[in-house]
Amino acid sequence: MDELLQEFISETQETLEALAGEVVAWEADPSDRDRLDAIFRFFHTVKGSCGFLNLPRFERLSHAAEDVLAEIRAGERQPDAATVSAVLGLMDRIGELTEAVAMGAALPNENDDYLIAALHAPAESPAEEVASKPASEGAAEAPAAAPRTSAPQAAPRTIRLPLSLIDQLMNGVSDMVLARNELSRKLRERCADPELDTVFERLSTCVADMRDVISKTRMQRVDRLFAAIPRMVRDLGRELGKRIDLTLEGGDVEMDREMVEMVVDPLTHIVRNSIDHGIETPERRRAAGKPETGRLRVEARQSGNQIVIAISDDGAGIDTTRLVDKAIAAGRLTPDAAARMTEQEKLDLIFLAGLSTAQQVTAISGRGVGMDVVRANVERIGGLIALDNHPGQGLCITLRVPLTLTIIPGLIVRAGGQHFAIPRAAVVEILHDNNDMLQVSRVGGAQIATIRAVRHSMIDLEDILGMEKLPQPGPRAIMVVRSGTGMPFALAVAAVDNHEELVIRPASPLVMASGVYAGMTLPDNGRPMLLLDAAGLANAARLPNIVDDQVARRQEEEAEAAGVEMVAALRFEELSGERRLLKLSLIERVEDIDASLFGRSGGKAYVRLDGRLMPVVNGRADFPQDKVCALRLRDGAQEACYPVAAVLDIVQMPLVPDMVAMHGVLSGVSVIEGEHLEVLSPFALFASLPQERLDRPQQGRCVLLDSEDGWTREILAPLLRQAGHEVMLGLPSDAPVDAQDVILCSGTDAAQAGEIMGCRVVQLRASPRAAGPQDGSIYRYDQDALMAAIGGRQG
Amino acid sequence: MDNLYLFAILAGTRVAVEAGEVEAVVKLTDISPVPGMGAHVAGLSALRSRVLTIVDVAAIVHGQPTPPERRGLAVIADISGHSYGLMLDSVSDICRVPEGEVPLRGQLDPAWAAYASAIVEHDGHPWLLVSLSSFIEGASAAQAA
Repeated sequence: MDELLQEFISETQETLEALAGEVVAWEADPSDRDRLDAIFRFFHTVKGSCGFLNLPRFERLSHAAEDVLAEIRAGERQPDAATVSAVLGLMDRIGELTEAVAMGAALPNENDDYLIAALHAPAESPAEEVASKPASEGAAEAPAAAPRTSAPQAAPRTIRLPLSLIDQLMNGVSDMVLARNELSRKLRERCADPELDTVFERLSTCVADMRDVISKTRMQRVDRLFAAIPRMVRDLGRELGKRIDLTLEGGDVEMDREMVEMVVDPLTHIVRNSIDHGIETPERRRAAGKPETGRLRVEARQSGNQIVIAISDDGAGIDTTRLVDKAIAAGRLTPDAAARMTEQEKLDLIFLAGLSTAQQVTAISGRGVGMDVVRANVERIGGLIALDNHPGQGLCITLRVPLTLTIIPGLIVRAGGQHFAIPRAAVVEILHDNNDMLQVSRVGGAQIATIRAVRHSMIDLEDILGMEKLPQPGPRAIMVVRSGTGMPFALAVAAVDNHEELVIRPASPLVMASGVYAGMTLPDNGRPMLLLDAAGLANAARLPNIVDDQVARRQEEEAEAAGVEMVAALRFEELSGERRLLKLSLIERVEDIDASLFGRSGGKAYVRLDGRLMPVVNGRADFPQDKVCALRLRDGAQEACYPVAAVLDIVQMPLVPDMVAMHGVLSGVSVIEGEHLEVLSPFALFASLPQERLDRPQQGRCVLLDSEDGWTREILAPLLRQAGHEVMLGLPSDAPVDAQDVILCSGTDAAQAGEIMGCRVVQLRASPRAAGPQDGSIYRYDQDALMAAIGGRQG
Repeated sequence: MDNLYLFAILAGTRVAVEAGEVEAVVKLTDISPVPGMGAHVAGLSALRSRVLTIVDVAAIVHGQPTPPERRGLAVIADISGHSYGLMLDSVSDICRVPEGEVPLRGQLDPAWAAYASAIVEHDGHPWLLVSLSSFIEGASAAQAA
């Protein structure tokens, strides 16, 4: 009996969930017979089962609903909005009762008669109802729900399994992988036996496959995430008198079961916000020249190892001015700072705790639980949230969450003799405390780290966790950590040790209650490690949360006052000892890199960072010390690494050096604070990179004028392409010839024409012998001369 | 219930635990501390691929943490989906007691009141029947306070 009851409960709950969308869709299109049948079937099943299980209240409710639906099926009644609401009400009550039965609690003793009466009420005046509410209310549409009606017949066969069984299976496989690793270690210690190795290989493959399959059992269709939305949109729309056309897309995308759970709340919140604050009332929309029915679109798609969920509406968007006013009123922002903020920065204010754009607090949203919580929740699971605001036109919120909760890239840090993990996404920058860019000052117990003129609150991890700060020979590492809700802060740890993909598991509630941990992980060494929660740490340390940009602004003002156009530059010491300057905007960050990561290949130096090879600008690959301080440079597309002896500080240097050198790696010399410093030329730095990709843009194209000539097409063009040149047959029709281009031709007049256009011209001749001393042309089969001419003339 | 109990010394007291609650008893090897937590959480320990939260019962009951050198055994239990290891002083027996639990008599130390519900007679001695999940609840409550 108990089992039957359990079965009934879980089946009812599941069907209810799936049906909520169906009812709404059916309301939008009452002629949809399939949906009506599905709903009817549900009540019929409930009625049948509860008669058997002796659940009289269920029976009464479902019987009443079934009667009405039967009338509608028979065409004796119109499914108007009131009827649909009443049917939904009954479904809700059945849901509540099911819950109560499942918990073994007493059934809530509310008056079912009222609900049943509501079902019958409109029957007395059906004509009026239909006339007065011509589908104007909550005309929500759920196209995504459409295929679901036909699904039951075509659905693959499934069975219901308890989650604990799947978890057990997962654990079993994890143990198996560990055992396999140990076996492989043991095998390597013994003599190599190819036969054994083959068998072991096969076992490994099986284990790996198995692990993949098992992890798929954790995947769930995003449909489940969407199931509650149509109902919510309908109910909210009716309550607020707004008309909303809902589109759901991408319900078949799959994501981790736990992830689905984690995303439900943020998604619900965003949808609510969008209906409550975003989409305007029909009158306002009409006044604004928009269609009366607002559009709300929720779509999910997979992008790499991320799931992207975009929620877009065509409502009012976010009023950033009001947001700024609120932030100022709340004392979170100074008026001058606000005046200097970019539109995007203003928009980001919505993530500050306790700010809401709602003019008044409504029952639906704006209760102080705002976007800050949404962002915190999304970032806790390693996701990102982005806003694309078009005031007056609408808002698009994009959530990017990892495909699975369980694997995130993390940094392993050391503090108080213990290791901790922190999500890679939370760390903005890592510096050493002996870095000259960083200045730590203490006042009244507070620590303030000033990094490149921006002041951050600084906390020692050991202090927050109540650990002892162990003495250590080297410098401590300072990470700039961005927490989901607040300002970035500086977190000092003994060292940053490693960068790993971590399999994260939830920690027990006892541990989570401390508020500073987000989970735990079991690395290969078998010692469990805790994952730090950046926002939790900031909370635990009670860091202030006020936007501040005064110092950065003052610097700018100083530079402006100086009259000469100044740019920020990094002063550093070369490995060879000279002090030089490099424009700061080129430097992505300064990092200490393990000397072992540097290597040499084909005469060029490389460093292995973040899983890829990066060229080393000054060609150094061997270092006496373990850690190398390096600048990471980026020119937009290309990255490079520049090992230096030490980073000194940031100074303002004139845009044009005091003494200009046109060639080589230095662009000139500037005098900063009475010291002569060589200024590195960014152009030369990137030009010297051993990358074809970089060389090409300066190379220009080879324009072959005689495009009709067979020799040019079949022999010359392939030869040039093979040599890495971009080849163009005939003169470019749409654009002028670039000065970088090289024109190849055979006729003398064409050569002269090319010279007039200002390009370099290589003239080819068919005869091995030159026509005379004035003849600058090249024999067309003299490959060396040809290549030299193309390459050399580009100089 | 089949009246099968684990008899052990827990925080210096003779206790009985219903065998159904016990998953295993293991020897603790390596405990990684969880800094920032009260003494009741001794740390984390890996059991094959599982991570156990090791709970110091003595700290919960008497408020005195067990010194690291006396951390010997732990009883593993799955409590609301998470694996815990509760530190034991020693294990004496697992056996069936046909007469089952008998009501508490005498004045129970208030420290134990929240965790003990009855007595089980075994080997001529009374053993306090405790529930492992009550220790976890007790620890959470202590944390909230």
